[in-house]
Amino acid sequence: MARRCAAVLAVFLSACASSPKFATVPPPPGSPFPQPSYTESPAIASLMRDARAASESGQPANAAALLERGLRIEPRNPRLWQELSRVRLDQKDYAQAESCAQRSSSWAGGDNALRFENWQLIARSREARGDAQGARAALDAADRLK
Amino acid sequence: MQTLSPNGDGVSVSNTSAQRPSTIAAYPRQSTIRAMFRRRIFGEIEPPRSRRWRYFRYACLALALLAVSFTAYLDFRVRSEFEGRRFALPARLYARPLELHAGLRVSQADVLDELRENNYREGRVEGDSGWYVRDGDRLLISVRPFRFWDGPQKTLLLRVDFDANGVSRVQDGQGLDLPLARLEPLTIGGIYPGNNQDRVLVRLSEVPKPLVQALISTEDRNFYSHHGYDLRGIARAAWSFVRGHGLQGGSTLTQQLVKNFFLTPERTIQRKATELVMAILLELHYGKDEILETYLNEIYLGQDRDRAIHGVGLGSLYYFGKTVDRLTLPEAALLVALVKGPGVYDPYRHPDRALERRNLVLREMRNTNAITPEEYMLTRSTSLGVNAKSGRGTSPHPAFVDLVYRHLRRDYDEADLRSEGLRIFTTLDPRAQNRAETVLERRLAQYDREKRFGERGIEGAVVITDSQTGEVEALVGGADPRFRGFNRALDAARPVGSLLKPAIYLTALSDPAHYTLVTPLDDGPFVWKSRGAPDWEPMNFDRQFHGSVPLRTAFAQSLNVATARLGTDIGIARVLGTLERLGIQREMPPYAATLLGALDLSPLEVAQMYQTIASGGFRAPLRAIREVTTADGRPLKRYPLAVEQAFAPEPVYLITAAMQGVVREGTGQGLKAWLPPEIAAAGKTGTTDEQRDAWFAGFTGDRLAVVWIGYDDNRAAQLTGAAAALPVWGEIVRSLSPEPLALPKPEGIENVRIDPASGLRADAGCDGSLELPFANGSAPVDRAPCSTAVGIAVENVKQTTKSWWQRLWGR
Repeated sequence: MARRCAAVLAVFLSACASSPKFATVPPPPGSPFPQPSYTESPAIASLMRDARAASESGQPANAAALLERGLRIEPRNPRLWQELSRVRLDQKDYAQAESCAQRSSSWAGGDNALRFENWQLIARSREARGDAQGARAALDAADRLK
Repeated sequence: MQTLSPNGDGVSVSNTSAQRPSTIAAYPRQSTIRAMFRRRIFGEIEPPRSRRWRYFRYACLALALLAVSFTAYLDFRVRSEFEGRRFALPARLYARPLELHAGLRVSQADVLDELRENNYREGRVEGDSGWYVRDGDRLLISVRPFRFWDGPQKTLLLRVDFDANGVSRVQDGQGLDLPLARLEPLTIGGIYPGNNQDRVLVRLSEVPKPLVQALISTEDRNFYSHHGYDLRGIARAAWSFVRGHGLQGGSTLTQQLVKNFFLTPERTIQRKATELVMAILLELHYGKDEILETYLNEIYLGQDRDRAIHGVGLGSLYYFGKTVDRLTLPEAALLVALVKGPGVYDPYRHPDRALERRNLVLREMRNTNAITPEEYMLTRSTSLGVNAKSGRGTSPHPAFVDLVYRHLRRDYDEADLRSEGLRIFTTLDPRAQNRAETVLERRLAQYDREKRFGERGIEGAVVITDSQTGEVEALVGGADPRFRGFNRALDAARPVGSLLKPAIYLTALSDPAHYTLVTPLDDGPFVWKSRGAPDWEPMNFDRQFHGSVPLRTAFAQSLNVATARLGTDIGIARVLGTLERLGIQREMPPYAATLLGALDLSPLEVAQMYQTIASGGFRAPLRAIREVTTADGRPLKRYPLAVEQAFAPEPVYLITAAMQGVVREGTGQGLKAWLPPEIAAAGKTGTTDEQRDAWFAGFTGDRLAVVWIGYDDNRAAQLTGAAAALPVWGEIVRSLSPEPLALPKPEGIENVRIDPASGLRADAGCDGSLELPFANGSAPVDRAPCSTAVGIAVENVKQTTKSWWQRLWGR
C-alpha cells in the first residue's frame, strides 16, 4: 500500500516536474526559419526577359505588370523585387523604388552583390527626391558591402 | 445590306456591319406621307354643303392634327431614343487567370475543377477551343482566345503534366516547353444596371448566318420586304389560329423590338397601335441591318437567378459556353426557340418543350429553304447540348464583388460602372474562394445543428490574402456565401480581443534593450487607475494569475494580465502608433482597455494588420483589383503592387517567432490536427468578453487568413477563438496545400540556445533546450544551472525576479 502510494506520488511529481503549467514544445527539426531559397525558374526568367524588353521599349507599366506576375509566382525572389525597383525608378515613383529595393534586400540572404545594387538604387531614388544626405548614407552602406 | 433572295435559297447577310439607310431612300417616303396629309387636310377648298358637314370637317381636322402631333412625338422619341440608345453594359469581373508553369503547386484535380467551372468540356473538338482531354497524369487543354489586360491571347493548345507536387511540365501543341501559360480567367460576376440586364454586344457580322435565318424563318419571314408591319404575317397568324394551330404572333421583328425598347408589356389596342406607328417610323429612319442587329442584342433569352440574359452574344455564352460566331445550327435554332418564351421553353426546366420548339424552328427553316431537308433530318435528332446550369446569378461570390465595387467607386462613377461594360481583372483565386465558402458554410451549419457555442443563427466571415503581395484571394461575408446582403467581412466591426496582442508585443520587441522573447513578465494581480475612467482590472481567461512568465509564453498563452501590464508599461500611445503603422486607419480609443482588444475591427482590417507582419514588416495595402480596361480592351487603370517598410525586419522576425510559438505550444495548438509542424504557421487566437466573438488570424509562407465567428446581435455565447474559429482556419488552409513559413533571417538577428526553465543560455548539458531568435546582443549572457560550461558560477546569475517556474511552485 505504502509502495503503491509512493509510486503514485512519484508519477504525480514527475509529471508536475516535467510539465510545468505551460508546456514548451521544441520547434520541428531543422531551423524554425529555414533560409529562403529562390530559383531562376524558366517562368521567372521569361517574365524578367519580357519585362526588360518592355522597359527598353519605353513601356514601364507593362514591365511592372510582368514583374508583378513574377512576384505572384515567386514573392521571395529578390531579383524580381530589384527589377521592380528599377522600373519604379524609371517611372519616377521614388518611394516605391526605395521600398522595392529594401524588400529585395530583405530576401537577399548572403548575396552581397545584390544588396550592393539595392543600396545603389536606394541612393538614386533618395537623390531624385532631393534627399542628398539619405543618398550619401545609402552609398556608404553600399560601400560597406564591398 | 441584307436581302431576301427571291429564288428562295435563303437570306444572304453581307459582312458589313449595321449602316444607316441612305437618306435618299428614306426621305421621299416621308414626304409622300406629308403630301398625303396635306391633300387630305388642306386640299379640299370647295364650300361646305352644310354646317354639320363643316363641324365634321373641323373635328376631322382636329383629330388629324392630334394624330400628326402624336406621330411627330413618336417620331421624335424613336429617333432620339434609338439614336442615343446605347445598351447599358455591366462591368464584368474576372478572377485571376491561372498561370501554369512547371513547379506550380496545384493538382490536376484543381485544374480540372477550374476548367469545368469555366465550361470547358471533356473530349476533343476539332476546330474549336474550350475543351480538355485527360490522359493519366497529362491534361491536354484547348484554351479559348481571351483579351487580357495586356493584349489578346489567341487560342492555345497546352499539354500539362502533373506529378505528386503539382504541375511538372507545360508544353504547347507541338511539344515545345512553355515557361508560362495563362488560362482564360473565370467570370465571377458583374456590376449590373438597375434591372440586372446582362448582355454581351455583338456585331451583325459576327452572328452566324443560320442564326439569322432561323430567326427570320420563325419570327418574321418577310422581314426584309416589309415596312415595319406585315399584313401577310398577320394573315398567316390568323389563318393558323383558325386552323387550330394555336396563337402565333403576327408581330414583325421591328414591332417586337419597339415593344421591348419603348413600351410597357400591357396588351391593349392603344399600345398595339402605338407599336405599329413606331415600327413604321423606325423602318423609315433606319436600315434593316441596324434594326436586326439591335434586335439580336436586345432580345431576352433567359433568367439566371437575379440576372436577366439578354442578346444572342450572352445567350450563346450562357447556354453553350461559346462565342456566338461558333454556334452550330441546332444551337442557333435553340436560341431562336427561346425568343418566344425563355421561361416556357427553358432548356433546363423543360428540356422536352425546348427540344420540340427547337425542332419547330428547324422545320420552319426547312420550309423556307434556309436549310436542306437533309440538314433538317440530321440536326433534328441532336440533343440540346446546353452547359450545366450555372445558377450563379449576378455573381456566385457577392461578398467579393461587393469589395471590388467599393474599391472601384473611389475611381469611377456609379453610372459608368453599371453601363460602360468595363472589364475588371480582380485578384480572386477561385480555388481559395470555393474552399473558404464550402468550409465556412459547412462548419457553421454543424455548429448550429449541435448548438455547440450557443443558439442557432451563428454567423462568420473569412478573408484570405496572398501574404506577400496583399492581394485578396477570397472573401466570404456570411454563413450563406450566395446571399447578397450584410457583408460581415467588410462591415461587421467587432471587438478583436487578443488579436491585438501582436501589436503590443511587437512594440515591446522593437526595444531589445528591455524586451526579448525570454524577458520575464509579471502576471500577478493588476489594477490600472486613470483619471476620469473606472479602474481597469483585467483578468486572464482561466481566472488565475501565473506569476512571472517569460514573454514568449505570456504571448503564446494569451495571458491578459501580463499583457495589460506590458502594454501600460510601454505606453498605450506607442501601441496605438504600432497599430497605425500596421495599417489600421480607424480611430482608436486611447484607453488601456483597447490593449486587450476593446477595439472594433472588421475581418478585412484585421487582415491588413496581420498582412504587414506576414510580409516581414512591409505594409502592402490590400488589393482586390489588378487592372481595368474598357469594353474593347483599352487599358484604363492599373492598381500596382505597392509596399512600404513600416517596421525594421528584426522585431517583425521576433514577433513572427512568437506567433509560431502560439501554434506550436500555445492557444493555437489545435492547428496540429490540421497542419504538419513543418509548415510552422504563425497565428493568434482571439476571444472577446462573455465569449461573444471567436477569431483566428494567421499565416503560412504563401497565404494569410482571418476567420471571425459570432452572432449578428452580438449576444453572449460560449465562443472561443481556439474552439470555433481555429478549426475553420485549419481546414481551409490545409485544403490549399500551404507553403511552409520561411522568413528571411535579418542581419540583426542571432539564434541562441536557451534553457526554457531558467530563461538563460543553455548548452549540450541542458535537456529540452530551445533555439530562439534574439536581436544581436540582446540574448541573456548568463548560463543556466544545467549548463556544463566551465567557469560560469551559477551564483552569479542575476535575477531581479524569481524565475517564473519558481514563482509557480512558490504559490
